[in-house]
Amino acid sequence: MDNYRQDKLHKFEEFVDRRLKPDLVHAISERDKVFEQQKTFSDLRKHIENLQKNSVTSLKTLVNLGSEVYMQAEVPDTQRICVDVGLGFHVEFSWSEALNYILLKEEKLARQIEEYTHQIASIKAQIKMVCEGIRELLQLPAELTLQEPIL
Amino acid sequence: MEEGAKGTVTSLASMFPADEAQKAAKRVQDTIAEKHQELDRVKGFIADNASLVNLVQKLPEELHHDIMVPFGKVAFFPGRLVHTNEFMVLLGEGYYAERTSKQTVEILRRRGKALETHVDSLKSMIEDLETEALFFDRTASDAAEGLVEIREELSGEESDEGASESGRKEDAHSVSVKDKGKVLNEDEEYARLMSKLEELEKEELAAEAADNIEEETNEVDPDVVSEQSSFNQNLKDWEGSHSCKPPSHSEEGQASDEEFLSRKRQQPALLEKSNPNDPTITSSHKDKSLKLPALEGNDHAGSSNNEVSIQPSKPKFDSLRAFTGSIIERSPNLPINPGETSSTSSQVPSSQSSKPQSRFRMQRR
Repeated sequence: MDNYRQDKLHKFEEFVDRRLKPDLVHAISERDKVFEQQKTFSDLRKHIENLQKNSVTSLKTLVNLGSEVYMQAEVPDTQRICVDVGLGFHVEFSWSEALNYILLKEEKLARQIEEYTHQIASIKAQIKMVCEGIRELLQLPAELTLQEPIL
Repeated sequence: MEEGAKGTVTSLASMFPADEAQKAAKRVQDTIAEKHQELDRVKGFIADNASLVNLVQKLPEELHHDIMVPFGKVAFFPGRLVHTNEFMVLLGEGYYAERTSKQTVEILRRRGKALETHVDSLKSMIEDLETEALFFDRTASDAAEGLVEIREELSGEESDEGASESGRKEDAHSVSVKDKGKVLNEDEEYARLMSKLEELEKEELAAEAADNIEEETNEVDPDVVSEQSSFNQNLKDWEGSHSCKPPSHSEEGQASDEEFLSRKRQQPALLEKSNPNDPTITSSHKDKSLKLPALEGNDHAGSSNNEVSIQPSKPKFDSLRAFTGSIIERSPNLPINPGETSSTSSQVPSSQSSKPQSRFRMQRR
């Protein structure tokens, strides 16, 4: 009877450690990536709005050639901006079009983030359930001196 | 490794267990893998550096270059590179330097050299780690095969550790035969040493126990007499409690009982002795407690005089903490908790009590 219980406990713990926890870590990292993308697009939006506000027509920037070696670059016409729309394509936009696109993109990203959040929450709930099961198994046989680590 | 014989035979597996050696080998392999990764990274940096040097050399050939100027991570502006001979180079810590193409190339070459020395150091580290891994592998395989390492201490004979290591491989049997002859001689020596050690330790214990009594009473000089009376009281209580002991302990109990009495008798004798002998003692309590055991030591064993006089300085502090002697089993709290001692006392105090007791009995008579 004890062996059976210990076996079950062992199986539960292994399940948590090997499947649920890596799944959780994976889901969290995916969600973080989407967060970053969202931040990038919101920054771009702010810049474009800034440009629009100040009616900037030409820009002078420093371009990174690699290994932090910069060179001066001039943008004569800031009306046309090329935005990465995925799969290696860049689309030339005017400012307002670009802002439109960025809004839509941000919404899509927000939906993705929510999905990931749901996934993460369900994995966490599963982990909690298995932990409760382990705890029950440990508390019922009070005279046993099991040394299992409680997660 | 037991000290029963002067030479020891240990199997390699016990010193370097096979699976632990394998684990160590694995760890070293992991470290090697890490270093390889870092090496690849640094090599990538060197390659980038080289391509950048090419670029920097090529750019000044034109006045302007049409490029897509990045704007954040996901947007570009069509634009042009201007001032093609002016480069802003990051020197580190937020410092930039504006340089021409040639100067930038020089900076980049120096950076490349630094990277290459880094690569060299990484390579040498990897080599060291690989030899270490090889050693672990070999040890693991040897331990698995069941090789034996024979280590013999130098006891004036010609057997060396060098000889033992050469005998490591297949001569384990022949060397162990030679070892047995030496072991017999060494056993006698060992027995002699052990008996001598036991004597010294008994004396040390007696000195320390007396020291305990004196410590308690040496707190304040005038209270010595009152302490003695309290000791009388303690002694009576202890004897009273002692009489209730089970008969199995009676023998030991009596021995320690007598010892306690004898020690109590020692005390007034010693106190009287101390004053005429050394007037400087009365000035400081510490000296007194040190000298008294020394005198007691003198009373006990004329032969091992020096050692006992040196030792009491140690028991004085040892008595306050756990006693570190390995052979003696009795706890040093004899006067404080007299009830406990008799149960834990072993044969050592019984034989010890015979010596001082006889002397003081003689004195009394």
